[in-house]
Amino acid sequence: MSGPRRLALPIRIAVRADDRGRPLVVGERSVAAVRESWLVEDRWWTASPLRRRYWEVVTDDGRNEVVFRDLRSGRWWRQRG
Amino acid sequence: MIACVLIPRFALTTAAGDRSELLRGPVALAPGVGGSGSTQQVGEVSLAAEAFGIHPGMRLGEALSRCPELALIPPDPAGVDDLWERRLLRLESIGAAVEPERPGLVCFDARGLLRLHGGLDGVLRAARGALRVPVRLGLAPTRYAAVAAATRARVRRPEIVGRSADGRVIGRSTAGGTLGRSTAGGTLGRSTADGALGRPTAGGALGRPTAGGRALARDYLAPLPVALLRARPALAELPEALERLGVATLGELAALPAEAVADRFGRLGLVAHDLARGGDTPLRPRTPGEVLRESLELPEATSGLQLERGLGLLVDRLLARRERRARTLRAVVISVTLVERGGTWRTRVVFREALADPVRMRLALTPHLARIPAPAERLGLAVERFGPAAADQRALLQDPADARASRLREAIRQVRAAAGPDAALRVLEVDPDSRFPERRAVLAPFEA
Repeated sequence: MSGPRRLALPIRIAVRADDRGRPLVVGERSVAAVRESWLVEDRWWTASPLRRRYWEVVTDDGRNEVVFRDLRSGRWWRQRG
Repeated sequence: MIACVLIPRFALTTAAGDRSELLRGPVALAPGVGGSGSTQQVGEVSLAAEAFGIHPGMRLGEALSRCPELALIPPDPAGVDDLWERRLLRLESIGAAVEPERPGLVCFDARGLLRLHGGLDGVLRAARGALRVPVRLGLAPTRYAAVAAATRARVRRPEIVGRSADGRVIGRSTAGGTLGRSTAGGTLGRSTADGALGRPTAGGALGRPTAGGRALARDYLAPLPVALLRARPALAELPEALERLGVATLGELAALPAEAVADRFGRLGLVAHDLARGGDTPLRPRTPGEVLRESLELPEATSGLQLERGLGLLVDRLLARRERRARTLRAVVISVTLVERGGTWRTRVVFREALADPVRMRLALTPHLARIPAPAERLGLAVERFGPAAADQRALLQDPADARASRLREAIRQVRAAAGPDAALRVLEVDPDSRFPERRAVLAPFEA
């Protein structure tokens, strides 16, 4: 190991969402319920600000997943932690 | 002035042993494992095999398709290492501080031996006499040029960079005194203070070549083919690419701008460029070591329990040797000659801590015997590195906390030795309250 390694790095995932951005399918699984949603903004004073809309969802096989949409690039990511 | 001694096809002739008649036909050392670990390659090849276009490093399948009658000799790594070590010791016995490049190829600085042996010709005579086998000798201001010279030398006529065929020194003698004064016998004479034959540096490492030495090496290397870059294993793949681009000689390579070479070939290209321009890294002679070795001829093909008993006997014999002078052993080499001319097998074992206890040594060494691929007819054990006479002084009364920390450190060392450096890690909180999970913690090596 060359040096410290970050934990809980986001991983790209395919998400289908409705018009309001609410996830309908995460990966291959349908979303059964949305538990929570929140917006995180940071580093807005820099040239590369972070803007993420997080969703904590329960899929139809009972898994708890946390996904977010990068509001700058429009891409979806899955994150643990 | 660097001297290079080349014994062509050293590994092949050693592995062939008393079957030297095989070497007259197409024969190769094989099977060997390639750099990727998945392909089988041939090692050194005979002259007759070279005539079929077979070269060391070629894939075994390709070599056999080029020459179906190619005979294969199993490598003999233990035999090669033993014989090569004996050759190096003989060379060191004339006072040479040697830097072995690979079995069959060794360099040393001839400057310090000039007075001892009465000039450069005397040094060459002494080296030849010490080795007692036909060798090719090359002399040049740099190590790389010396290796190139040795490959062009003949057994009875050394190749000396800077000396003409009639024995005159033709090197460009600069203000720094590239080759120093030539004597009546045509030998390369007295070294000057900072010339190409100058003194070793104060730090013990032999200095880089001077401008005069570089120029001499560059002039010598200029007409030689870029294929000579294969003498450096790291540069083995460059010649083919250079030839495809129309760069056929080292002189043409040296004439290219360094930036252009760096753009195309990166760091390795710059190394090759520097070599072609007469540069090289300084010689780094090895530290002469002590050889302490015990071996056991086994009357019958042996494996399993009998081999373990033989190993135990060798451990006792090694520890009983007076030359050990009560020192502990840090690293040893187990070597085995396999039955039915199956070649040799060897493994290096580094003890977790320097040992002088035969029971613990047996415990550490015995599991390695299970990896021997065939019954053995000869078993050897050699000390590779000694430890101090008292390796680990333990306190009479130890603080329990210290003892626990010490055990933990030792456990981590063992885990890392068995499963790699990533085996023991800890989660380190960096910014636990961050709203971004990836900023909260990192995984770092565990330090006890």
